[in-house]
Amino acid sequence: MGRLNRDTLIALLLLVFCGVMFSASQDIEVTNYGTMPSHVWPQVVLAVLTVFSLGLLGQSVLKAEAPGAETAESAPGGIGKYRNAAIVYALFFLFLFTLDILGMLLGGVAFVFLALTLLGEPGLKRVPLHLLVAVATVGVMWSIFTFGLGVLLPDGEILQLN
Amino acid sequence: MLENILYAFSDVFAVGNLMLMTIGVTAGLIAGAIPGFTIAMAIVLTLPFTFGLSPVEGLATMIGVFVGGLSGGLMSGMLTGIPGTPSSIATTFDGFPMARGGKPGLALGLGVWSSFFGGLISAALLVTLAPSLAVIGLEFGPWDYFSLVLFALTITASLSGENLMKGMIAGALGLFIGTVGEDEVNGVARFTFGVDDLESGFSFLPVLIGLFAFSQLLSDIQDRVKARAALMDTRETDAKVRVEHLTAIRMIFARWTNLIRSSFIGVFTGVLPAAGGSISNILAYDQAKKASKTPERFGKGEPDGIIAPEASNNATAGGALITMMALGIPGDIVTAVMLGALLIHNVQPSPTFISDNPDLAYAIFIAFFLAHFIMIAMQSVTLKLFLLVTRIPMYVLASVILAYCAIGVFALNNIVYDIWVLFFFGIAGYVLRLLGFPLAPIILGVVLGHVAELNLSRALSIDSDLMLFVSRPWSLFFLVVAAFSVAFPWYQKLRGSQPWTLAYLPVLLACVSVPMFMMEGIVRPIIGVALLALSAYLLWRSAKNGWKVTPDGDHEVHLEET
Repeated sequence: MGRLNRDTLIALLLLVFCGVMFSASQDIEVTNYGTMPSHVWPQVVLAVLTVFSLGLLGQSVLKAEAPGAETAESAPGGIGKYRNAAIVYALFFLFLFTLDILGMLLGGVAFVFLALTLLGEPGLKRVPLHLLVAVATVGVMWSIFTFGLGVLLPDGEILQLN
Repeated sequence: MLENILYAFSDVFAVGNLMLMTIGVTAGLIAGAIPGFTIAMAIVLTLPFTFGLSPVEGLATMIGVFVGGLSGGLMSGMLTGIPGTPSSIATTFDGFPMARGGKPGLALGLGVWSSFFGGLISAALLVTLAPSLAVIGLEFGPWDYFSLVLFALTITASLSGENLMKGMIAGALGLFIGTVGEDEVNGVARFTFGVDDLESGFSFLPVLIGLFAFSQLLSDIQDRVKARAALMDTRETDAKVRVEHLTAIRMIFARWTNLIRSSFIGVFTGVLPAAGGSISNILAYDQAKKASKTPERFGKGEPDGIIAPEASNNATAGGALITMMALGIPGDIVTAVMLGALLIHNVQPSPTFISDNPDLAYAIFIAFFLAHFIMIAMQSVTLKLFLLVTRIPMYVLASVILAYCAIGVFALNNIVYDIWVLFFFGIAGYVLRLLGFPLAPIILGVVLGHVAELNLSRALSIDSDLMLFVSRPWSLFFLVVAAFSVAFPWYQKLRGSQPWTLAYLPVLLACVSVPMFMMEGIVRPIIGVALLALSAYLLWRSAKNGWKVTPDGDHEVHLEET
């Protein structure tokens, strides 16, 4: 298994994905409206994806990875280099999860404030500045959409403005 | 026709629209000036604002962002050596040395006015060519459209990076994403797995913003140190910069052949699906260097080296709009978003778009012209503001923009589900980026998947004979160029080292001449003869030279973001 590199794993995962989706495509209702049945196009796409995935598999197995050919994203740094991305995804998930309670305005302010605080330079001095940026930017955006574009952004249980 | 033009004029020159265009151009200039913040992202983020606007206002604003963004990239490129967008990469080759050589004002002047003139030339071609191309488009049947989509997808994948296979997989993944939910033809639910929300499929905008903007912002802030630092240190340069307009205009007029050639390269590149400003600026630079009597001056602050890339990248916008308006096929992410904007307003670009919606079509033409005048005014007046923005750390921009993405995506259908889609595709886009998959083919796959399926279904409903795909001239034409576009990455990689690459272009020309002979009329068969003759000449020349390959120093080009 010396040749099991990243692309090989991706290709195998894609092949599994194609298999699962092809199986799911068997459940698509078969119609007879004189047009192309609904399952044909997805199956064509999945067949094409399978062929390309096999191509990637063959390519990754045949071509031994050249030393130093790793791309920038695999530069040294371990899992820690994804810290910022992980923080943002976690915060965004929390923002969505609490949307019913906080609403778009408070939730947005909280998201921006926490993101700025966790991604920016540490220190208490920056907290008021981050709060100010969060309130001002989200407040302006919320106002433009609510009053300017007439979009009813979701209210939370805590603060109901609509 | 005159009535339509006058009506379009009144729409575009309305005070509100002028203000929106000015805001759009300014936003584009700022976005273009910020390294890592692409025009495509600026256009994507503008789209939610256009929901509440009329089609003319919305598109005019986006055209303003497009034009502004193409010119904004030159500022950071010239003053710091870091191109703001991939469309300005070649501008830095000579712009930065000229600015460093004590002439930042002249360098900026040349860049700004070249963008302006390049844009105007392409606008003139847009007005001339779009209706003509639309007339050709009227000849297309569903077979031809399906093959055209296939060509667009293959060329996008083949130009999107080093790994063709990953580009192709990305395109197929995009097509698959488009199949989720009820299909347009029969209304049957697909891949919903019992989830009600999935029955409506994935809206294009949340997918686009998630895959592209969300994932890119996270990539930009991945490096903790860079994310916290100011984007660029422009304190030294901004104090002494003053654009030298008159000198620059004189110099450009003195080099008018370069301007015209570069603009035509830009328009031609824009018309091709998938080939955007990131490619045209390098192609034009390369041609300017080859045509120059003093090529040794290139790279040291040569004015021709600034005029060529800047004229061509703005001209590319006109070319991309030609294909989008005349055929309804977006060439890149930017025109895909514009297409999305039109669809939101229930306007479907197609060969009949210009004749069915003349007021909107002419408004787009006029807005494209006008945006260049606004661009030149705004770039001169607010240069210092743009330099100021580049001092904001990326993490601040990213945090605020992510919140904006959530609000913007919600505004599309007023459902929270769309923000979850944004989140999901944000993760998917980030992971795919890390794994080396280009995102442009996925996005075009999502957009074009419906067009492909619809036309395949129509074609098979009319006649189940699959041979029609190769017996109809236009369909065959697109299939031939699609096949050659798949081989293009190998040709590009091995050109100058393998003898077979000498046969690539002649064989392509010979193959393309076949559908030309199959077409009706006199002109197209004559073009076919000319292509065949050119093919024979190229083969004869290579044979005469003994099939010897000569390496050239062409810059490799990739399409990822415009």
